[in-house]
Amino acid sequence: MTKPRVAFFDFACCEGCQLQVANMGETLLDVLQAIDVVEFREVMSEKSDDYDVAIVEGSITTPHAVERIKEIRRKASVLIAYGSCATIGGVNGMKNNFNLDDIRGSVYGEQARYFETIPTRAIHQVVLVDYFVNGCPVYIPEFVKVLKSALSGIPYRVPDHAVCVECKLNENECMYDKGITCLGPVTKAGCNSWCVNNGNICYGCRGMVTNPAVDGQKDILEKHKIPLAWVENKMNMYNKACEPDREARLNVEKR
Amino acid sequence: MPDISEYVFLDKNKLDFFVSKLNTRQRVVAPVRKGVKSYAFAEVPSAKDISWKYIPTILPPKKYFMPQYETIQKFDKSKRTWETVVSSEPIVILGVHTCDLAGIEFLNAMMSSAPCDAHYRNRKANITLIGIECLDYCDGSASCAVMKNELPHGGYDLFMTEMKQGFISHVGSDRGRNIASDSRIFTPAKPEHIRELEELRARKKDIFKPEINVSHEELKNLFSQSFESNMWREEMEKRCVSCGNCTNVCPTCYCFDLRDELDLSLTTGERQRVWDSCQNETFAKVASGENFRKKKGLRQRHRYMRKFYYPVEKHGLYGCTGCGRCTRTCMAKISLKETINKLAEEQQNSKEPVLNQ
Repeated sequence: MTKPRVAFFDFACCEGCQLQVANMGETLLDVLQAIDVVEFREVMSEKSDDYDVAIVEGSITTPHAVERIKEIRRKASVLIAYGSCATIGGVNGMKNNFNLDDIRGSVYGEQARYFETIPTRAIHQVVLVDYFVNGCPVYIPEFVKVLKSALSGIPYRVPDHAVCVECKLNENECMYDKGITCLGPVTKAGCNSWCVNNGNICYGCRGMVTNPAVDGQKDILEKHKIPLAWVENKMNMYNKACEPDREARLNVEKR
Repeated sequence: MPDISEYVFLDKNKLDFFVSKLNTRQRVVAPVRKGVKSYAFAEVPSAKDISWKYIPTILPPKKYFMPQYETIQKFDKSKRTWETVVSSEPIVILGVHTCDLAGIEFLNAMMSSAPCDAHYRNRKANITLIGIECLDYCDGSASCAVMKNELPHGGYDLFMTEMKQGFISHVGSDRGRNIASDSRIFTPAKPEHIRELEELRARKKDIFKPEINVSHEELKNLFSQSFESNMWREEMEKRCVSCGNCTNVCPTCYCFDLRDELDLSLTTGERQRVWDSCQNETFAKVASGENFRKKKGLRQRHRYMRKFYYPVEKHGLYGCTGCGRCTRTCMAKISLKETINKLAEEQQNSKEPVLNQ
């Protein structure tokens, strides 16, 4: 059996997820037994237009990027979006809080007119995505799991329940019990509560669960005397670009 | 008068020796401090690592009987073979509260009723349980008295009660007898020890009183009549955030998911059993996309019914031990005791004749 040809691409991002893959350690040897990497800017010079699987990091923020991702989609039989920027817009989504021209001016100054820009979009908001590996950065065991699913042609579903579920199974003391606010209760699991296991809070990098319990969450914040705006602000850090998805979903439900 | 031959005495200054002696033969786990105000069962190299006075651990000791993640089968696609993996190691769980002993007894009943769970049974056969008596409430979340679990009802190999000079220990099994037979550690209990134990138990009667306005016997009826209560569709629907904490920390929840994990060879792999929660939105979602329990409030109703109604109907056992973990861990501060009292009040009000019609 010939190994599937896999290409890694990046758009607006820090390339940290590529670094995670490059830095996988021994598992990388097994991965390379299963796939043939034909393009991966961070680790090799070769390029190729002939690939079966495209693994895409970063979000879409310019008209040029729209054209480029459409071209990648056309060539790839399977497209995997990985990392928060690609799957939910990630930190690039914060751009959507501002007027586009203001933002452009602030970044490029007098040269701004040479740089076309559009609101930040996750990959699936532009082209069809077959697999999602959420997270900032991606959690390598999940990345490998998704890769295996893609290679064996079976679906992978990102868990649609709170990070708390995995966090409890890891028997971490709840951040709220330590008097610290954590976005675990509204964030999709799948990361094995990686951050909390290491003493950090959940920053919501995997995106909000489909049905966050809005009333209940407000109740909790009130009880812990945490201002709503503060949490919204924290949530905006990764989730801003996904607001249109949520609005669309709510509209469908209303109908 | 208890049978004195079933009791032994452990002097306080022999506690260290006792724990290190246990440690020579198998892993010993006991409650240890975890974080700011929590505890967890973990390996203890010596007695000084143990938190003897603790509120129920984040996860109950069921994690040793059915681990959160457990490989139960291995498969090879190319050979079309399946192989059952049954693994366990000898382990002593030391310092188990009576509520958690009751939780294990409940799980034993569920897992040994047909079809018997071989993985659970195998681990159980390797576990030695040493209980410790609670002399006071852990905190206000507990409801052990109404669930009748403030006192031991068996299910242990050895059960220790702390007294002035040491621990009087009840031998509950042959395995316990074996441990207690080490005369360098245990001495036969004396009549004054038994007297002290009886006095202590008498004092406990004044401390532990039913914590809710419903009797043990009435709980089942209350829940059978509360199926259509507004509690579920309104209050719970509004308050619960479906974080799954309540079921994941419950000593009697045993629902699990099965996940097949391929190796990167894509030929061989293993089947994993992972704890699941009826509170997760996708728990009752099936292939067509239909969700049989889409509402958070109805998922909570299911949880309560699984503690106070269904198992009582089917097995004559309550699924609640009164440990209070679900209340303690709830993000939304939903209290089991308050829920039950509110349901009871609702029932009471609905029974009172309506005067002004």
